[in-house]
Amino acid sequence: MTAVLLIEDDDRIRLSLTMALEDEGYTAYAVATGEEGIAEQRRRRADTVLVDLMLPGMDGYECIRQLRRDDDVPIVVVSARDDTHDIVAALEAGADDYVVKPVRVKELAARLRALRRRARTVLAPVTSVLTFGALEIRPEAGEVRLDGVAVAVTRTEFRLLCELAEHPGLVLSRQQLLQRVWEYEFGDERVVDVHVGRLRQKIEADTARPRHLVTVRGLGYKLQP
Amino acid sequence: MTPIGLRARVSAAFAIGALLLSACVTVVSYELIRNTLFAERERTAVRATYFDAAIVTADVAGADPELGEVLRGLDTGADRYVLLHRDGRWYSRSAEPVSETTVPARLQAMTAGGQAGAQRVSRDGQPALIIGVPLPGDMTFYEIVSLRELERTLQLLALVLTAVAIMVAAGGAAVGWYVTRHALRPLAAVAGAARGIAAGDLATRLDPDTEPDLAVLSEAFNDMAGQLSRRRERDRRFAADVSHELRSPLQTLEAAVSVLERRKDRLDERSASAVGLIAAEVERFQALVNDLLELARSDQPVHREPVVIAELLRGICRSRGLEADLVAIVPGTPEVWTVDRRRVEQALGNLIDNAIRYGGGPVAVRAGRTSDGLASDDFFLEVDDAGPGIDEVDRPTIFDRFVRGPAAGARGAGDGTGLGLAIVAEHAAAHGGRAQVSDRPGGGARFRLELPGSV
Repeated sequence: MTAVLLIEDDDRIRLSLTMALEDEGYTAYAVATGEEGIAEQRRRRADTVLVDLMLPGMDGYECIRQLRRDDDVPIVVVSARDDTHDIVAALEAGADDYVVKPVRVKELAARLRALRRRARTVLAPVTSVLTFGALEIRPEAGEVRLDGVAVAVTRTEFRLLCELAEHPGLVLSRQQLLQRVWEYEFGDERVVDVHVGRLRQKIEADTARPRHLVTVRGLGYKLQP
Repeated sequence: MTPIGLRARVSAAFAIGALLLSACVTVVSYELIRNTLFAERERTAVRATYFDAAIVTADVAGADPELGEVLRGLDTGADRYVLLHRDGRWYSRSAEPVSETTVPARLQAMTAGGQAGAQRVSRDGQPALIIGVPLPGDMTFYEIVSLRELERTLQLLALVLTAVAIMVAAGGAAVGWYVTRHALRPLAAVAGAARGIAAGDLATRLDPDTEPDLAVLSEAFNDMAGQLSRRRERDRRFAADVSHELRSPLQTLEAAVSVLERRKDRLDERSASAVGLIAAEVERFQALVNDLLELARSDQPVHREPVVIAELLRGICRSRGLEADLVAIVPGTPEVWTVDRRRVEQALGNLIDNAIRYGGGPVAVRAGRTSDGLASDDFFLEVDDAGPGIDEVDRPTIFDRFVRGPAAGARGAGDGTGLGLAIVAEHAAAHGGRAQVSDRPGGGARFRLELPGSV
């Protein structure tokens, strides 16, 4: 059974979402603060974390950063805020996805399934290597190396990198990446942009002038040596 | 009637002022010159008359000559005419009889009294001066001097002075126009700033130091802009707060209803249908909250970014379970548009949803540029539907908030928020364009979203 950690300060939302997620077949652990959430995740690791941004004490952004520091568990923000500023800040803090309240339980469950699939694809042990200059990607081993040094990326970042690496030199649009990596039929392209930004910080020497992961204006992104 | 502009009024005031001043100068100088010239001419004439009178006196004193002959002996030139009066008879240089009225009675009376005198008269319509000198022997010598030349000179002078006055007035108007252009230049900066604010750039401020005389205006303007931006910020925060406050209970409702719906078959019939009603209303309430927030935020500036328009349209269609081949791109349309992706997505999504709900489904989703060849960057998106079309009378109000067309009414007003088309119109306006509805050739309605400057 898939375990979900829900960090939500509103009692009624916490209770109703817990029930609804259990209906969808998840085991749900629910806590009311970021501090409790981090402690809970360390104690009993959930497969996915749902986190609200407006939390008493430690806010959602800080909570995401600390969770991310511990491991690469998929994190989905469930927030009533839908300003670009909030969304980008949450994604930059390390969240994998962002949904705006009120989210339909069915849609939330679909997102969680997509994230789980993403997380699982890296487990198959095959040893092909995709090389882009100093950048080495081993899709099946779940490894990224830059100049031979391992780079720590989250699972979503890794899926994104693999998707681009499997189509060397080919431009993939944000919508294509959303469909292939996030399994969205149609979604918010800012999610892609922020993940690309996060990846660049890890694999590019100069993020303002990327060498490998380049933007093709108006079209999308491509990976090149 | 349009009121006369400030510049025109200032220029007119300058012109009138200049005209009055130059008219005064002209009149005074004309009078001075005229008096001086006349006095000069009169003195010359009197001197000549006395000279001639002396000659006549000397000639007459000799024998008893023919008086006409004496007068003919005078060197008078063309513009002088001499007369002699003796014993009630007039003598002139010619043989013609001299009219009694040539010399005014007043002057005759004066000379008869033994006094010399001069008088200005009009002779044959020409100005002239008559000078009378009593001579010994009961004679009177008159000389008529034509002032025509002098009068001509004065006319010319008057003409020149009038022309100068008019030119000075025109110069005044020009100076007024020029000066006001400079004076109004800081106001152009104010106008530019106001336009900036109207366009949504609330950070626009004027520098009060650049034009010290307009510092009061600049400060008032900046104060206004500051208050406006504070109020806008308050509204924005209010919208964000409302979003949070309304969305959180909705999340609870949504999740709780989904729990109930899952157990619908375990409920009795009445409870199950009540749950169905709640679920439907929760959904509508969600849509309403989202639409209201969207409208509350719609005056924020657009974030244009390059977008592959065909892909965007296909994505919107796919997300609604429609075939992506509904999308048609008019040939010659650029591939990448610079638009606010989120807004275009939502506006077009609303149009497509409406077409599905009330228009029998969309039959085409089109992107193109207007073909009139003039407005070369007028880009549009269109959604054609297969419905009954929109009545001419409903068209002006169809984009207003909470206005539902008869099609929506006929459906029992069950779904839809009544805000969808209002949002479309707002998003079009945010891009500087408009939303329009017309008849689709062949039946149905055609909704068009104009997005100028998209490339």
